Amino acid sequence: MASPTPFESQIYRSLPEIERADAIVDRISTAISLGLLKVGERLPPEAALSEMFGVGGATLREALGELRERGIVETRRGRSGGSFVVKQPQSQTDAIRDWFLSTSISEIRDLGDEHSAIAATTIRLACERAEAHDFERLQELARALVLARTPEVRASADSRFHIELAVSAQSPRLANAEIRLQEESVQQLWAPLGVPLDPETATAEHLELVRAVAQDQPERAQKLALEHIRRNIFHLIDTKLTLGYSQSIQEPNEARH
Amino acid sequence: MKPDTEVVHAANALTSWTNGVSAEIEDLSRNVASLLERNLVGKPKVDKAALAGLDKLSREFLAKNTFAVGAGTFFAHASVEEGGRTLDWWSRKGSGSVGRLDFDLTPGSNRYYDYEKLPFFSTAASTGEQTLWGPYIDYLGFEEYILTFTAPFSVHGTFTGVAGCDIRIKDLEPLIMPHLRGIPGDAALVNASNRVILGNSGMYLVGERIKSGSPEQHRMALDVPHLGLSLIYTSTRHTS
Repeated sequence: MASPTPFESQIYRSLPEIERADAIVDRISTAISLGLLKVGERLPPEAALSEMFGVGGATLREALGELRERGIVETRRGRSGGSFVVKQPQSQTDAIRDWFLSTSISEIRDLGDEHSAIAATTIRLACERAEAHDFERLQELARALVLARTPEVRASADSRFHIELAVSAQSPRLANAEIRLQEESVQQLWAPLGVPLDPETATAEHLELVRAVAQDQPERAQKLALEHIRRNIFHLIDTKLTLGYSQSIQEPNEARH
Repeated sequence: MKPDTEVVHAANALTSWTNGVSAEIEDLSRNVASLLERNLVGKPKVDKAALAGLDKLSREFLAKNTFAVGAGTFFAHASVEEGGRTLDWWSRKGSGSVGRLDFDLTPGSNRYYDYEKLPFFSTAASTGEQTLWGPYIDYLGFEEYILTFTAPFSVHGTFTGVAGCDIRIKDLEPLIMPHLRGIPGDAALVNASNRVILGNSGMYLVGERIKSGSPEQHRMALDVPHLGLSLIYTSTRHTS
């Protein structure tokens, strides 16, 4: 058979078997990092988790075992027992550094292109569909970013704002796309590598977005959302350049390839 | 304005790098042409026997030139016998081995790869000179974001096809970014259609078209024959 093209490989990619437990660990860790699950929160019972993830009991127990080993969850016995989130996953600075080194500028630009497409429509729909209580909630979420003291909490506050903005647009598909895009980039954005992003600027931009949505100004809201993404993408590229290409070549007259 | 030393250095380095690639492509297309002339021994059209040994040239090219992700030959349909193989393209697989790339070559099919219409083929065919196409998404072909260098070749005086190589944009970045980073202001390598191949800051992003130049934007053509490459630069560096 002809070797599959990358598009075909994407369609027919094998369904993970062994990595299902790892996928559960990642999913739960990311949810905690993003603040979707909070410290102290109880995970659903094992039987419910197995069913929702669509895995057998053994795979689920393997995943919970790994999460316990990492000190992220704790399982308590008894009537008020269950698996509880006990701490944030470790700061993933090394993993994030690897991401910057292995991701090219063209791929970062492409991530921004997709994010712009999703955000442009999301914000327009939010203008049409969000209501008063959404505005208050979004303002509160926007302010949470400037109050955050660590990169992890900032990442989680930032992504929470954008996900809730997508939620206010009433489209589950767009909200899911926003969640995926946030998972792919928000930790990189706030990681303490290179020049740090200013939480005050980001918060001011978020509040501007809420104002435009509240005043039902779709053109303005879309413009702000696109500028916001563009600035974030520039920041990721600057960090990439700082980490990957900090040294310039002084004697460039060498033909190497 | 006289360009700064850093700009001249970067331009020289990029010129020399690109001319290095061009020389390799020239060699490849010359080798393909001589192999075909030997194999064809006077037959008018390329047939299966004429292709003997062609794969070896691509494999050797890829072994030597690690910057390239694929290499090979596309024939003009008119120079191949009815039903014969019209291309011979090899690319690196995930495992690091080299394998033949197959395309859908059935006209009218949904996934038909009509390469004779693609600029890396048509420009080389019409100008008779080397050409560079990209950055582009090679949909239905290699299906990645790449640059393609090609050179036309003739057999017994008749244009027969093009030989060349693909370079992933992702792989190109670490090779030429150090040169661009040597320039203190914003700078980018742009292709003949004013599209950014690589920039040294967020100001010039790969794939974007350079529109009307601002007064502080300067251009220096690279001394690379036929490829139309230039270096765009400004005296200040963008900050986000």
